[in-house]
Amino acid sequence: MAELNYRSLLETNNYLRTLSDTTYWLCITRTVQESKLFPMNPYMLLSYLNSFYRLPTLLREIDAATPAEELGDRAREVSLKVDTVNAAWGMPAFYLIGREMLVNWGLLRPGDAVEDVVDVLDFSRRFNLAYHRTDGHITNKEFGDRSQFLPERTLQVFEADLHGVTPGDRLHTAATKLVAQLSQYAFLAHCECRIGLHNSGPYNFGEGRQLIVRDFFDLTEGDYPWLDGIATRLPVNNLTIPIVFKDTNFHLMDDWASFEAEPSYNAANIAAVGMYTSDALTDGYVPVGMDNADTLAETMEQYREILNEATADLWKRIATWTREQMIDAGALVYSSVAKDFAHLAGTYRQEDWLSLDDRVQRFKPLMNDEYGRDNLGEMVGLLGFPHQKTSEYSMARYSGLNQNMLTGIPYSVLTDDDYAPTAGSTLSGSSSLPAKNGLWTTSAGRIDLDEYNRRARGFTPAVLQGANRYRDEEWVKWHHGSAEADELYRLAQRGSRNLEGRGSGLRRADLPGAVEGTSGADR
Amino acid sequence: MRALAARRFAATGARWKDVVFERQFDLFSLADARAVEQEALDEGYRFDFSATVSLESEPDKYKCPERETPAFTDGGTNADGRRQVGVGDNVIRKSATVTGPVARISRIEQVMGYLADGIPEGTIAVIDDSGGTLTAPIIEGFAGVICLGGTVRSHLGILAREYDVPTLMNCKIDTLSDGDVVELEVTAAPPAADAYETGDTGHARIWLVGNEG
Repeated sequence: MAELNYRSLLETNNYLRTLSDTTYWLCITRTVQESKLFPMNPYMLLSYLNSFYRLPTLLREIDAATPAEELGDRAREVSLKVDTVNAAWGMPAFYLIGREMLVNWGLLRPGDAVEDVVDVLDFSRRFNLAYHRTDGHITNKEFGDRSQFLPERTLQVFEADLHGVTPGDRLHTAATKLVAQLSQYAFLAHCECRIGLHNSGPYNFGEGRQLIVRDFFDLTEGDYPWLDGIATRLPVNNLTIPIVFKDTNFHLMDDWASFEAEPSYNAANIAAVGMYTSDALTDGYVPVGMDNADTLAETMEQYREILNEATADLWKRIATWTREQMIDAGALVYSSVAKDFAHLAGTYRQEDWLSLDDRVQRFKPLMNDEYGRDNLGEMVGLLGFPHQKTSEYSMARYSGLNQNMLTGIPYSVLTDDDYAPTAGSTLSGSSSLPAKNGLWTTSAGRIDLDEYNRRARGFTPAVLQGANRYRDEEWVKWHHGSAEADELYRLAQRGSRNLEGRGSGLRRADLPGAVEGTSGADR
Repeated sequence: MRALAARRFAATGARWKDVVFERQFDLFSLADARAVEQEALDEGYRFDFSATVSLESEPDKYKCPERETPAFTDGGTNADGRRQVGVGDNVIRKSATVTGPVARISRIEQVMGYLADGIPEGTIAVIDDSGGTLTAPIIEGFAGVICLGGTVRSHLGILAREYDVPTLMNCKIDTLSDGDVVELEVTAAPPAADAYETGDTGHARIWLVGNEG
């Protein structure tokens, strides 16, 4: 794994510094996290520590089974929880913030765990490069706060198959109500944090329209033990809802998947919607209720009813939790942002991702609400820890101050030897939450974990098999209409109501409905 | 904690690399963390709370909330004789203002009660918490929301937009009692993108219309 030399350290520190600047910008341009229900700041801090102690070991196992760049390819073709906010930003940032806490407490020096830091950031960089391959940027921030990872073949299917809506019609109403319910439920199921929802785009859909893709993850029985028995009538665990807006410019889609638009998000400007699902076992997006507008509206109404009931059920369950249970659940939600890598690789074990490490448990008594608030604010907002200072001559990217959120690795580790290269690979932990007893909801049905892992290990999507994997947008530009390109596009067109079997030669003008200037069916 | 860890390390007489992980519980243990907390409590210190569960489950460790003082006191009276009792940041611009009786929501038991009995029509919730989970099962039932924290970008702001519930965030209000009827100026423009950096916020007004009680 880690090759410790000058080059690898230079690359590691470059990525670390980029994350430091970007994370500071994200923190100061968004609001404080607060909840009267969940002690959020204590659980966030504990989650960072859990990431520090556990992530390197878990990622090494995953990387050995399925390399990070292949995982990036998988995530690019669908919407999975290993997305921008969870995996591309959260996973490395949480790990590094945990490291920062320990340095501040004097329990770690910057050279310690250097092999872990190099491995985590190397994994993250390779994942991000592949995940963002279509647009060629490693982060949304680097791309000017845009997120456009989907290939043309997928977007063409969306454009052709989405159903047109007008405000007040049945589908428009069903879609806006479902998105609201999904957002509400996702915040609750994820203990007040936003990692259960995701947004990407915008994509240019012509005629003054833009597409954003809204994703919702871990909706029913799966990894989180508190979702056992919740929303079990829902047949899918993840939903993707592409939404086309008219007369709205989404000028920001940041690495927290927050969007800003001009004029602001307004459901009255929604012009078309669709619904899909995907998970570690799907070969691309699977349409959900997409046969016609009525079926889609009916499906959305059913799902909305199920999730409305589930929100009340789950809220009542959580309302009975002790403070420690709330903290454990929140900490585990955060520290497990990379768990779906293990699902993709078929290496998922419940105790790996849903236990708070013994090395973390020792800090719990410190985590009263006040210390949690002040420590977090100092570390990621004020950057007031003494070790976060740099030379008086330096001016950081966004603050202009001589302060960095994340501490670099000193190059002296190449010559000095008084540091410990790794935090170790022995994992032992626990949780105050009830044990998980339910099944896992997947596109292959509700199955147990052994079956889920077995299926995942034996599965590679067709668009990533053989030479297909390297047939990117640049290749398509020069080979559209060839047998190979047609085969690739037909894979994405499987199940499409309007493009099944059409191949690679389509332009926007060729899509159904485009002749009338309203590209896409049912508009 | 830093001082304690440094003392413990010095006492080992070993090299740092042999202690940092191999003997990490010697540097700082669960008992040490408990002692740090106990020392603060023994000195009479009590912590601020954020989640109500902290105050309820560990009342000996947290400060009880002090009686609130009005955060908005410079409201005048308009031509209709209504008194301005607050300001906030409008999330969704509406064509008409919203009027209704207020209800302060801050506890799980209240939400449980609304879940069981339903929310009286027209209720405007006054919520401290800009998160999206305390009121998760009932938010859609409110005619309006006055949130005393956060910004239009907070979780509650996001959900207000998604549910199309008229909502003012980041509000400063005078004392309001349950049943006071207020009018929310949700016709005001939402804050500009840079409003929280420039401080150009708080343009939506809250008027006291009457008292049902």
